[in-house]
Amino acid sequence: MPNTRDIRNRIKGVKNTAKITRAMQLVASSKMKRAQERAMERRDYSWLMSRMIAAIEEQLPEGLHHPFLDEREVITHCVLVFSTDRGLCGPLNANLFREIARFDRGTTAFVTVGRKARQFVTRTKRTLLADFPVSEEARFSEIRPVAEFLIEGFNRGDFDALDVLYPRFKNTLVQVPTSVQMLPMTDFRARLDEFKDDSGIDPLQDLRSFLFEPEAEVILDQLLDLFFKQQIYRIALDARASEHSARMVAMKAATDNAKKLTDQLTLQYNKARQAAITQEILEITAATLHS
Amino acid sequence: MASLTLEVVTPERTVFRETVDHVVLPTVSSGEIDILPGHIPLMTIIEPGALRFFKDGEPDSIAIDKGFIRVYADTVSVLTEAAIEVEKIDASQADEARRRAEEALAKATEEGADPAILEELETKARFAVLQKIIADNKRM
Repeated sequence: MPNTRDIRNRIKGVKNTAKITRAMQLVASSKMKRAQERAMERRDYSWLMSRMIAAIEEQLPEGLHHPFLDEREVITHCVLVFSTDRGLCGPLNANLFREIARFDRGTTAFVTVGRKARQFVTRTKRTLLADFPVSEEARFSEIRPVAEFLIEGFNRGDFDALDVLYPRFKNTLVQVPTSVQMLPMTDFRARLDEFKDDSGIDPLQDLRSFLFEPEAEVILDQLLDLFFKQQIYRIALDARASEHSARMVAMKAATDNAKKLTDQLTLQYNKARQAAITQEILEITAATLHS
Repeated sequence: MASLTLEVVTPERTVFRETVDHVVLPTVSSGEIDILPGHIPLMTIIEPGALRFFKDGEPDSIAIDKGFIRVYADTVSVLTEAAIEVEKIDASQADEARRRAEEALAKATEEGADPAILEELETKARFAVLQKIIADNKRM
């Protein structure tokens, strides 16, 4: 039987850990709420952009053409990975890394956001093109250089296809590691429709036809850059929401475990204490009997 | 009197939405244009600069980065990646930001850094200078 002091020390230790994990759980949950609000605030931008692209499309009867949209032969591949900077978020990063392992080593280069992904990619001796530090809030100004770097690489022909790998936020309990093809945007139409669906019809009506300055093609050409950046930003926010909810769930589990452990240890402690008392009484009575 | 709705939308949020009299936009293709109520639907690209507007006869402005404009049904929508209201520009802060950006730029040029990073820094410096100019104008 371990002695009572050891058990008491362990109980104290476990309780302290529980306090910390509980605090982390609360912090993560408030950050998650914030991340979800941010995801709502960016909607106006997506909506306005989709209206603009729709107006341009009406102007161009032969359809949209742009390097981002036209498929080309894929020789080298680039994967942008969104991971977390810090751990203690359950299996989030491990699940993501399992997906990384699926890409062909020889033809795939990686661009990472988040310390964990950078470490994984370099440790497993894969090609790392660039790593971008992005703060926990994931401001647009931080995501912009990432997107611009990728646009440039794609236009220069450094890689022929871009995938984005991130933990998609399904709900608070479930985050799915998801890989989406970003360039060329083969599913551009579906993406555009997605905006329209969650935003409804334009409340404004103007029957006169649009004047474009410069020509619609030129505007589209530049607008698609913004579209791409916006998509990357959306994914970054999603990845952050996943991170915070994964951490919240992991920390909740840790707190619950700590509570269970404290209960068990308290039981053990009481038993040990009782055993010691019984032992003492036995000794005293035995001594009186013999005297 | 007929009026316009001016909205400035950035990826993070809608920074500004108000009813104004008319708007002056720095366009890329035809210089500054003045949008009045009843303008035909227009789509154009604007340069980084001051977006000036008049509300109840009073001039005011917002600093904006490169962006796109849609004029539709008396609503001027600005789609841009960065915008800041002049009221919120703190001149000393803008100064500081500009100094930092320029310093970083000078250092990066010396070291021959990545062109992508260089461009990013240049944008920052440009934007900071712009804020400063607008804030100064405002005070005069």
